[in-house]
Amino acid sequence: MDDQGCPRCKTTKYRNPSLKLMVNVCGHTLCESCVDMLFVRGSGNCVQCDTPLRKSNFRVQLFEDPTVDKEVEIRKKVLKIYNKRDFDFSSLREYNDYLEQVEEIVYNLTNNIEVERTKQIMEAYQRENRDVIQKNKAKLTREQEELEELLLLEQQDNEQRRLETLQEEQRQLQAKRKNKQALLDELERSHVPATILLAQHKDRATQLENQIEKQKQVVKTTIFSTGIPMGQTVLLQPVARIAEVLYSYKPIEINTYGPPVPELEQLGRLGYLNHVRAAQPQDMAGGYTSGLACHRAIQDAFSGLFPPLG
Amino acid sequence: MFYNSSQKKCWTFENEDTLEKLRYEANQKYRNKMLASGKPTVNSLFLDAHEEDVLFRHYEKRLLDFCNAFKPVMPKSVVGTAIMYFRRFYLNNSLMEYHPRTIMLTCAYLSCKVDEFNVSSTQFVGNLVQENASGQERALEQILEYELLLIQQLNFHLVVHNPYRPMEGLLIDLKTRYPLLENPESLRKSADDFLTRASLTDIGLLFPPSQIAMTAIMNSASRAGLSMESYLTECLGLKDNKETLSKMYDAMRRIKSLMKRYELPKPDEVNACKVKLERIHAEFCTNTNIIITLMGHLGREF
Repeated sequence: MDDQGCPRCKTTKYRNPSLKLMVNVCGHTLCESCVDMLFVRGSGNCVQCDTPLRKSNFRVQLFEDPTVDKEVEIRKKVLKIYNKRDFDFSSLREYNDYLEQVEEIVYNLTNNIEVERTKQIMEAYQRENRDVIQKNKAKLTREQEELEELLLLEQQDNEQRRLETLQEEQRQLQAKRKNKQALLDELERSHVPATILLAQHKDRATQLENQIEKQKQVVKTTIFSTGIPMGQTVLLQPVARIAEVLYSYKPIEINTYGPPVPELEQLGRLGYLNHVRAAQPQDMAGGYTSGLACHRAIQDAFSGLFPPLG
Repeated sequence: MFYNSSQKKCWTFENEDTLEKLRYEANQKYRNKMLASGKPTVNSLFLDAHEEDVLFRHYEKRLLDFCNAFKPVMPKSVVGTAIMYFRRFYLNNSLMEYHPRTIMLTCAYLSCKVDEFNVSSTQFVGNLVQENASGQERALEQILEYELLLIQQLNFHLVVHNPYRPMEGLLIDLKTRYPLLENPESLRKSADDFLTRASLTDIGLLFPPSQIAMTAIMNSASRAGLSMESYLTECLGLKDNKETLSKMYDAMRRIKSLMKRYELPKPDEVNACKVKLERIHAEFCTNTNIIITLMGHLGREF
């Protein structure tokens, strides 16, 4: 979970994985209980770097490395000021330069390099581009609103669909129940024999089911989930054919240094099995046959019998 | 099968001189090691090749007796494998370095495992009837200690092809395809004896097991006065292949001559060599304490 413990109470982090770490503006971590303890005593200084702190400045850590969290905070603040977009610039080059500027500022602030100068730059920029900043802020908020509306719509759609399916099921259940009830009534009242009634009833039940099936298939899908519309032919590059030599099977040749051994299947025909003890039923149950022992003995007898030539 | 086995590739040698050279080299290696270790030694203290051979044959016979007296009855292939392990081990190691009694028991133990002759370790040492329970336990400890060494010195080649199954195969073939011989079963007993005696010689390290089996059967047939020449020419298809035929006869002659040369060592020779062996082990080997107590225990037996 966490490879570093809380720098103050070191032990608690390992023993209690549910304990959360909090990060402050100077980028150092403290577990929840240590934060509380620190502010109970009234002192508000970070343990490692002695910067004066406020309790509100502590945020729950999202990332494992507290420096990342610190950078995320700084980035948020910087981007509130430097919020120009790509269409605000006349050329790609200028946009990239602008982005690089922003990165440099964030980097400086995160690693405490030339903090003063960076802050001055930021303030100067803010003053010059105040209206642009405002306009972009407005645009941003508008976009966010649109996104939220879309989300809301989707959710509503889902809800509706759910309700509809529920209602459908209810209706079907009711229809079935009515059917059964009608059958019972008819059995009671009518004079037609029971078998015919049952057959009629079954017909009606199957008809109902078919109707239900058809209704379910009404919803047709027109696009795949990835966005490609159905029925579109996708052009792919043809696979290059690699011509290679075909593999042809050559059986392995084994030199047993002896006379040839008859095959296992031939042993019975050749009369070998008459001279071997016959297999009992309890042996055959396990898959043993007398041919196996005979074949093994013959193989062993003939293997290596002839001295190697030369 | 034998033709692609490790036995054929690594443990079948050309002639007896190769084997002698290997044993001589093992002996020399041990001598040099002991001389280099700095302990005060005299060259005459070491066993020479002949004495080692005497002891080797003696312990081999004891191994065979141990396996034959084993309860439950050990199949022949297990016995054959044990003897082959013993022989292969002392091809590359000297008797002075590892005492043959322990190695002998370890060979039997390993052979039971490899050949799937299921004997528990307690049951195994229970067959050492001369000892009490604690002696048996100590023996077991030693066996387990030496087991890995044995496997290593065998170069991890644990499958041994014994000539017993080829003999069965040849008998089946004779019965099926060679009606000239009326009762091949009569050959079985003497062929069996032949094979057991062959396992006590170097034959297993020089010839393929099927050739040894063939020699056994031909030998017992000629002893019974029956002729089997036409079997080789007709049934095995060697009628036109004169070269192979002559080579086979040659091999069979060699096997028979090797068999004749074997003899059991004389007891006084054995005892003299044994005294020397014990002294060497007492002086040079570090973990012989257990062996010595055991030997003292059974001084009368071994």
